[in-house]
Amino acid sequence: MLGALLYLRLHSLRNKVVQRVLRLRQPKYLMGTAVAVAYFYFFLFRRNPAAGPSSALAAQAISGVGSVATAAICAVACAAALVRIAFAWIAPADKPGLRFSEAEIAFLFPAPITRRALIHFRLLSAQAAILFTSVLIAVFFNRSGYLGSHRAIHAVGWWIILSTFDLHMNGTNLTLSRLRETSPHFRMWRLGVVTAIVAYAAALFYSGIGRVSAYLSGPDSSQAAPEAFLRQLSESPAFHWLTLPFRIVLSPYFATGPGEFLAALAPALILLALHYHWVSSTEAHFEEGSIAMAEKRAAAREAALRGEMPKLGGSRPKARPGPFPLAAKGPPEIAFLWKNLLSMRSALFGRRALVILMMLMVWAAAAIGPLSRGGGRGGVVAPIVVVCSAMVAGYTVLLGPQIARQDLRGDLPNADILKTYPLEGWRLALGELLAPTAILTAILWCTIIACSAAVDADGAIEWLTPGIRVTVALSMASAAPFLCLIQLIVPNSIMVLLPGWYQASRSRTGGIEMFGQRLIFGVVQLFFALLVAVPAAGAAALVVFSSQWVFGIGPSVVLAALAVLAILSSEAVLGLWWLGRRFEKFDLSTESK
Amino acid sequence: MIEVEALAKRYGSFTAVRNLTFSVRPGEVLGLVGPNGAGKTTTLRCLSGIIPPTSGSVRVAGHDLSADPVSAKRALAFFPDEPRLFDYLTVRQHLAFVARIYGVADHESLATPLLQELELDGKADALPGELSRGMKQKLVIACGLLHSPSVMFFDEPLTGLDPLGIRRMKDSIVRRAQAGAAIVLSSHLLHLLEEVCTNVLILKKGEKVADGTLAGVSAQFSNGEAGVSLEEIFIRATGGSEG
Ligand SMILES: Nc1ncnc2c1ncn2[C@@H]1O[C@H](COP(=O)(O)OP(=O)(O)O)[C@@H](O)[C@H]1O
Ligand SMILES: [Mg+2]
Repeated sequence: MLGALLYLRLHSLRNKVVQRVLRLRQPKYLMGTAVAVAYFYFFLFRRNPAAGPSSALAAQAISGVGSVATAAICAVACAAALVRIAFAWIAPADKPGLRFSEAEIAFLFPAPITRRALIHFRLLSAQAAILFTSVLIAVFFNRSGYLGSHRAIHAVGWWIILSTFDLHMNGTNLTLSRLRETSPHFRMWRLGVVTAIVAYAAALFYSGIGRVSAYLSGPDSSQAAPEAFLRQLSESPAFHWLTLPFRIVLSPYFATGPGEFLAALAPALILLALHYHWVSSTEAHFEEGSIAMAEKRAAAREAALRGEMPKLGGSRPKARPGPFPLAAKGPPEIAFLWKNLLSMRSALFGRRALVILMMLMVWAAAAIGPLSRGGGRGGVVAPIVVVCSAMVAGYTVLLGPQIARQDLRGDLPNADILKTYPLEGWRLALGELLAPTAILTAILWCTIIACSAAVDADGAIEWLTPGIRVTVALSMASAAPFLCLIQLIVPNSIMVLLPGWYQASRSRTGGIEMFGQRLIFGVVQLFFALLVAVPAAGAAALVVFSSQWVFGIGPSVVLAALAVLAILSSEAVLGLWWLGRRFEKFDLSTESK
Repeated sequence: MIEVEALAKRYGSFTAVRNLTFSVRPGEVLGLVGPNGAGKTTTLRCLSGIIPPTSGSVRVAGHDLSADPVSAKRALAFFPDEPRLFDYLTVRQHLAFVARIYGVADHESLATPLLQELELDGKADALPGELSRGMKQKLVIACGLLHSPSVMFFDEPLTGLDPLGIRRMKDSIVRRAQAGAAIVLSSHLLHLLEEVCTNVLILKKGEKVADGTLAGVSAQFSNGEAGVSLEEIFIRATGGSEG
């Protein structure tokens, strides 16, 4: 029985590889692969050997900090795993199941195969991916430099980590569906397990936090030997025992030599075997849940192909009232703004997105808190605000267009319908781009407000009077929408020019060539950002420096803003006109063939 | 209403449609028939301004589609074979959106009877994801009819409909034609031709094999035999199932 399943696996894999290689004949895949290979070659492989002694020195210098950083990364990863497991118990899927593809379900579920065999098939499928990932990580992220040991050890270490986690999640899902079927106290069970997890996490936290904070607030924390601290920490008995399961799983990866590795391997394999036993002996009906999962993933993949963001919130879109009442008369562009804002809301304000946002904010607060306290002066916060908002603004301009994609890109499958609308191409393009432009502009405005309030908070710069502060802020705010619009025209143009490329780069099933394609798009976006910003900034600087002697700073800033607006708006008009023309000629069906 | 003159469409070196000339007057329903890949969808996409033809001209409601696309498109509606909808807009929001695009002022008063006619009034606040395929198709039709087009293009209008849905679709096409619309539909379902179309145009590998009234085309291919079935005529005209 497993033979047939193995056959399916192996042949699928072989055909996939063959297909991947064959499609390198298409320039989009070839270019993507070439760029990705070049990137890895220059940035990952070349760097280690070529850097030679200096790198070894650096490794030595950071090895102390490195071990703490590694420990911190491990702590975060383990916490994430714990959260993921807890989440499975807190909010189990309606029907927990195992991961099968739709085709596998269609062929295998009605076939005369036992559940156990299906489970084994599922585990084997996962193994293919896990093995591949382990080798890939070990090859690409060669950390032998400061972790010591060999790449092979890293690969096996990764394999153990990923396999154990995969088995654990499968066991959790199977146990959940088993409990749901058989136990009348399903909720109580879940409550019990979640309580146990929370208690465990709390115990872990309190057993370690004392030493950690003592270390951090120690007299001269930077010089205290990190290794000594880590040893101390692991010698605390409660911490030692509580972290044991995680350490068992992680220790093969961190083994510094073959002997240590073999010693660490035994307990890890035993733990893995126990997990395997758990998974393969749990009698649960996972079929329904698997079907639901597969459907969800197929839908998500389709959505990704269409260029939508993965839905962070609920799985299904919800009917919502429009963002504003849409009158029947008026410029049709507003209808697109209305429509795209509607589709954006469910993507942006989903429940899980909010949770992630809150976690990020807590993290940011935790990170900023000590800094502002440590400085002693209250004025430490203001520079942080300036730097952070500048960073947010930069990311918004450069990466925002990749994230806010409720525009032509989101409407790709409806391209035919859009083209039957009685609108000139540029009006359609403008309408479609309004919603993400509005969102990105709103973010930019927030950063401008924060920045203009926080810059030079203690008033050290003489000429920065409140009037000038407001004038500069308003000038920047008025340029922001045009900048966002232009930045959004770039990815939309890429999509209209090279829809095949674009769709390929959206698909999740990508390999190295997809990475290369994304890299190319990123570079193009950056290039256009510079192309747009440099003349505008140059003009602004020229105007300010040449006219401030005549008119004073305030009026010259206004003049500069007008110049920038003129440049940006004509660029935007040109871009929209061109995009509209291209879209009129655009035929999706030609490309997807 | 619809005048097509020497229409041709090439995809790269492959010619999907060549030298197609025909016209449809108000009240007429032209059926484009032909085997899979004959170029029906390509023709309809050219006629509705979705893709530019490689050569030839198309006039819709008196407007040249390439010279004045906006005016031409204002008069037409295209119904694709797959119902394409916006995932996040409810039925009512779809109508509001389309009304704004076409500038239909009194869309509230138009939409209500339209929804009732299409039996969508119970689903006015549902998203497309919650609609069955038949209902999605109805919504597409409601959106297309909102601006009272005088020219309509249906691509495989019966795909995926149940028998009752097919009956209703046929009725509503006939009704729109009687109200004076010029309609082109594509299908390889022959009973649709018999019941709905006033004229047929048989396509084979992108070329017109025959056109005229159904009786005329039948006579052309029956070789004088009596009682030749429509199916037989179709097979004779296209020379087999796959072009
Ligand atoms: N975008 C395209 N690029 C290349 N060939 C196409 C494209 N669209 C259609 N074709 C080809 O044109 C021919 C006609 O297609 P189509 O109009 O869809 O046929 P029908 O609708 O009659 O089944 C087919 O051979 C098809 O493969
Ligand atoms: Mg077709």
